Amino acid sequence: MREYPSEHNKIVSELLDGKFIISPSPLFYKIQELEDDYFEFFTKSFNYNLNIEAEFAYLSSDEVNEKRTRDFTLFLAILSRELDYSGKNFRDKIELGSFDINETEQLLRQSSKWEILEKTTVSEFEKFLKTWRGKNLIVLDGNKFKFTKAVKLFFTFAIEIAEEKLKEKTNEENTNA
Amino acid sequence: MIKLSGKYILKFLQNHYEFVQDAFNYSKPDFIIDIDILEKLIEEYNISNEPKISLSKLIDVKFCRQLPTKDFKINRSYVDFLQFLFDDFTLDLPQTLKERYKTIFELFSALKTETKTSKTTILIQNIINVIDVFLNDIHRQTQRLLSDTESLKVNADEYSDLSKRLEKAVFWIDEYIEPLNKILEKGHPESFYSALVEIQKYTSEKQYIANSFKLKREYKKLYGAVVYARAELDQNLQKLTRELRPLLDRVKSDSIILSGFYHFVENIDYPENYAVPIPSPIKKTKGSAIFKEFHSEAEFFVDQFNYKTSDVYYEEQIEELEWLPDSTYFKEQLLNENKVDDFYLWCFNTLKKHTDEITLSKFFSLTNLLLEDDLVAEYKTDERKIIDLKDASIKIPKVKVYERIPK
Repeated sequence: MREYPSEHNKIVSELLDGKFIISPSPLFYKIQELEDDYFEFFTKSFNYNLNIEAEFAYLSSDEVNEKRTRDFTLFLAILSRELDYSGKNFRDKIELGSFDINETEQLLRQSSKWEILEKTTVSEFEKFLKTWRGKNLIVLDGNKFKFTKAVKLFFTFAIEIAEEKLKEKTNEENTNA
Repeated sequence: MIKLSGKYILKFLQNHYEFVQDAFNYSKPDFIIDIDILEKLIEEYNISNEPKISLSKLIDVKFCRQLPTKDFKINRSYVDFLQFLFDDFTLDLPQTLKERYKTIFELFSALKTETKTSKTTILIQNIINVIDVFLNDIHRQTQRLLSDTESLKVNADEYSDLSKRLEKAVFWIDEYIEPLNKILEKGHPESFYSALVEIQKYTSEKQYIANSFKLKREYKKLYGAVVYARAELDQNLQKLTRELRPLLDRVKSDSIILSGFYHFVENIDYPENYAVPIPSPIKKTKGSAIFKEFHSEAEFFVDQFNYKTSDVYYEEQIEELEWLPDSTYFKEQLLNENKVDDFYLWCFNTLKKHTDEITLSKFFSLTNLLLEDDLVAEYKTDERKIIDLKDASIKIPKVKVYERIPK
């Protein structure tokens, strides 16, 4: 029988809870250290994919079609847009700053894109925040909240979309030329 | 005025500072100003300013000259000075800069082979000049790029369009920062910087071993100019690589994120258009630490025993709603009576007509009419009567009730 690290139980149960494990948590370093073992463990036991990024780790599955993740991405996209429109540096604010829950909800409700958000789980804003706190994407503190480093996953997603679009555009231009 | 004096020009600039600034701004970027605009500026300026200004005065002080197209071109010497005054420099393409400073290599080669003292002195003076102009240009470029990048970063009005911002950032990096870096690159043999290093080496020796005292002094001047230039360039290079480049990279990547999000939101109902799968972190699965396929097979197996629907019994609850008299209706009845001598008895009898079950609550909801403002209650005797209700027996006084006559 193989040896498991003492953090094994915690690592497995947190990840299976759908939580992001974020540096500087000791669990994160343990996962990094045993990257290959854990990768195999989650694939063989659950058919889940273990993703280890520079500052966080999480489980994903191709079979998951989670509307809630789509909702979170929408929320982040529209929040970034509104912050940028109001002349703020959205990335600094999201990566480092903290948000007043009520003010943020107002900001979103005033957005012309609220008509999209109100049809999603974001419409019940506090409940929405609590859901994502459960996944370690958000930290709640009284009437304020902050994003954790795991939010970068969604920035990367946006960069990938934009780059694909740029590629498409260049290809179109080349064909037209 | 026959000869234009420096003092006269400075006085002109001081007297008409605002006008000069307006004309300068309108003439950018080629420093040519349309005749109609210039005339309009003069006209507007003259309304509220003394001494007045005129086209001929502008030509007198050599501020501008008329082109064959009738438009006016601002004098180059003014342009340079005004750019400095208003701290508002135009960006030159680095290629232009590069061409401009190629002369330093030629001058330096000529200096190394020159034997005549007089020619050597002129060559040294020329090199010092080239270095000076170069430093000035680089400084201007860096300042201009820094302030423009700041406005890009804070999303100033003209850059609110996302794609424009991205385009601008990429353009500056490719067309300015990279080539400027090359011109200043330390290791590159053809860079201006390495020319400076060469000159410094050469003059550090020559300032001691040159043939004459006069030449030694000239070489010392050049040495000083080069050492100063290197320090200045280091500072500029630092601004370029440590501040400007990361700033522009940041603007570029921020704009990319925003444009990615833009495509995401626009295609929210057509996820197939994303071309990149949305992140798919798993849902909470704790408590089902079993392989998913096994789970569905087991469910299928168990399901076959679930053919019998279970019986569920509901206990029906009958809700009893007690009828309560409508006080408005009974008040009307009471007023119709004109006057009631025994109010409580009247209540009892009237209720009796509607229901057999006169409870305490029904009785009281009717006797509450006594509290109405427009009714007067009078009772004189201590006589009490007993009435039997369904759920209680009560002793009641004899009360006379009639409508209050409005004042």
